Amino acid sequence: MFVSNEILSVVTFLYLLLFLGHLVCFATKKEKVLTAVWVGLYVTFGLHTAGLIARWIESYGGITEVYKCIFQICQFPGHAPLSNFYESLIFYAWCIALIVIAMKKRLRFPLLTMFACLVALGFMGYASFSTSVDKKITPLIPALQSNWLHIHVFTCFIAYAAFAVSFLAGLFSIVNWKSIMPPEETLEELNYRSVMVGFPMLSAGILTGAVWAHYAWGSYWSWDPKETWSLITWIFYALFLHARFARGWKGRRIALLSIIGFASVIFTYFGVNFILSGLHSYGAA
Amino acid sequence: MSATKSNEGREGQAPPSPPFLDQVYEFLSSVTLAIALLAFIAVLSIFGTLVKQQASPEEYLSYYSESTNTIIKFLGLNDVFHSRWFIAALLLFVLNLIFCSVPRLLRVIKSGRSAKVPSEKALDGMALRCLVTGKRIDDVTGVFKNYRATLRNEGSMILERGSLGRYAVYMVHLSIIIILLGGLIGFLFGYRGPLTLAKGETKDSVVSRGAATERRPLGFALKLTDFQVSFYPTGEPKDYVSNVEVLENGKRVLQKSIRVNDPLSYGGVSIYQSSYGSNPVFVFNVGGEPVELGQGGVYKKGKLHLLAVRYEKSVHNFGPGVQVAYVDEKGQPQTTWFLTEVPRLREKNILGTTVRLDKIQEEYYTGLEVSRDPGVWVVWFGFALILFGLYVNFFLYHRRIYLLEISKGVLIAGTAVKNKEGFREEFEKLKGKLGCS
Repeated sequence: MFVSNEILSVVTFLYLLLFLGHLVCFATKKEKVLTAVWVGLYVTFGLHTAGLIARWIESYGGITEVYKCIFQICQFPGHAPLSNFYESLIFYAWCIALIVIAMKKRLRFPLLTMFACLVALGFMGYASFSTSVDKKITPLIPALQSNWLHIHVFTCFIAYAAFAVSFLAGLFSIVNWKSIMPPEETLEELNYRSVMVGFPMLSAGILTGAVWAHYAWGSYWSWDPKETWSLITWIFYALFLHARFARGWKGRRIALLSIIGFASVIFTYFGVNFILSGLHSYGAA
Repeated sequence: MSATKSNEGREGQAPPSPPFLDQVYEFLSSVTLAIALLAFIAVLSIFGTLVKQQASPEEYLSYYSESTNTIIKFLGLNDVFHSRWFIAALLLFVLNLIFCSVPRLLRVIKSGRSAKVPSEKALDGMALRCLVTGKRIDDVTGVFKNYRATLRNEGSMILERGSLGRYAVYMVHLSIIIILLGGLIGFLFGYRGPLTLAKGETKDSVVSRGAATERRPLGFALKLTDFQVSFYPTGEPKDYVSNVEVLENGKRVLQKSIRVNDPLSYGGVSIYQSSYGSNPVFVFNVGGEPVELGQGGVYKKGKLHLLAVRYEKSVHNFGPGVQVAYVDEKGQPQTTWFLTEVPRLREKNILGTTVRLDKIQEEYYTGLEVSRDPGVWVVWFGFALILFGLYVNFFLYHRRIYLLEISKGVLIAGTAVKNKEGFREEFEKLKGKLGCS
């Protein structure tokens, strides 16, 4: 058992506590509880980051190996924890927490953080407890040995996380729980702002992927299922933005679009790995 | 993500022209067409991921029934991204982008040039406004630090910020066209193809992949001097390296180690490490003389003709072996098996000569991918422009502030089409600095 796995198990448990903390928050309606929940979120996020860093170090085989690699005398260099399905789930949960914290200033309402914690809990729990998800640290195959890995995966997953927030905003305005709902305009603002982050990030993710593919495979675009589905998702959010700004769509229709858009994101992430096969097959292992 | 409202399309009618052309123009410049085309491209792409692309006819017959197969063939779903539908949709989409963007862009430029300071009454009706009493315009301009004066008249002024934000949408649209253009250049003037080289081998051309396969000269010769594969302790490949030399007219001009993620570029051609494989090499001893034969390799000495026909990793569970063909005394072709792990089958007498199989070696060869794509820099430029355009579009926004001197002081009002909330906050801060009501 690696230290990182221990840390990440604690983090999974903390997301569960945070979710429950929000319920307490709704029951008591006290500002103090909400403040405590936010402090808890910061701590959880910090530990989550520590878990990722620990896994990164462990992929080298310990901190001494990291030093050796800095001086280029190590035998097997490690890699950022972004290389297989388990690591991507953990990283996705981290990105969701990051985006909620980054959006705190403008859009602080407990319903969003509660569901964000629930989604993060879902991904962490799936990663930790599912027997089909391989938790081993495996060395990088030659195709993944590139600095493009970091920027490509980071931009893609920030985009996925932003679209998850947009999905939540859309979901809230459709189900409409009266007493705990933020006002409709806030939800629309939240929805737009998350797509505003997600769309350029998805674009950057696709483009860095294309540049990387050019250097690794000799072609910036090969219509591999992952590439194609990310393009479909991109087209969908382009339609979303045009419906919103060129056509002035609002309310329920925009909410529905953000829900369908997220379905496309989920298919790009999971569906392609499990149903379709292609060059991105390492994402499924 | 156009910030302009849809009803603006009705303004600024074109000069009278034949109604048919009008209709074509209306059709090509409509947002509805853009949405329909994007949806169509997305749906075709979905089919492109569900139906295996560019597979052999036998593969399709093994997946689908004959009638489904006919439909797939007819709709071109076996090669969606090169089908007439897809290309036609892309072309129409480019036209649509141009017809949508150019008139709107011209309108934005025009409205920027012809901006006027509204009347006192109009300014008074605006949501964000304030009055600085007892001051003149020159007393207050210091507050608007990041603003640019775009109009200065006696007693009135227009200040603007983030003007680039108004052009960002068109930058994004333009960069999509540039990227597609780069793709077209690559499609028309480029080629791709696999190139396998064994150690010591030299090649100067490649058979291109795609609709028309043909032999393309590289313009130079490529020689593989060495190839190594290294593995992790887990058995996964760690690195494959092809050491190559570029030869021009037989002279070495460049040496390079090609790795995955580290291609060689020379003379407009890029060469990538894509795969590797191994061929068996049969090490024989023929009458005391060592002989190495590859698969299909021939040995001739006097009457003795040997041909390594077939290699099996395991012959009836007796280990690896090679089938050798020869011509017997009567001139009849015969075959016999040599097995390395069975002593009785390791050595044979053929036409009076002792032939012994000493060992079977694996000789690695490298699988390189050759690509020539003159459009790639156009695509990179498009990528840079689209990212810049998206950044400007979402994170900078245009706002305009009007200043008008009236009898009581300076009347100040501001507008922003996008990010109204952000601008309101900024305006409130400005109000604090101006000390106005």
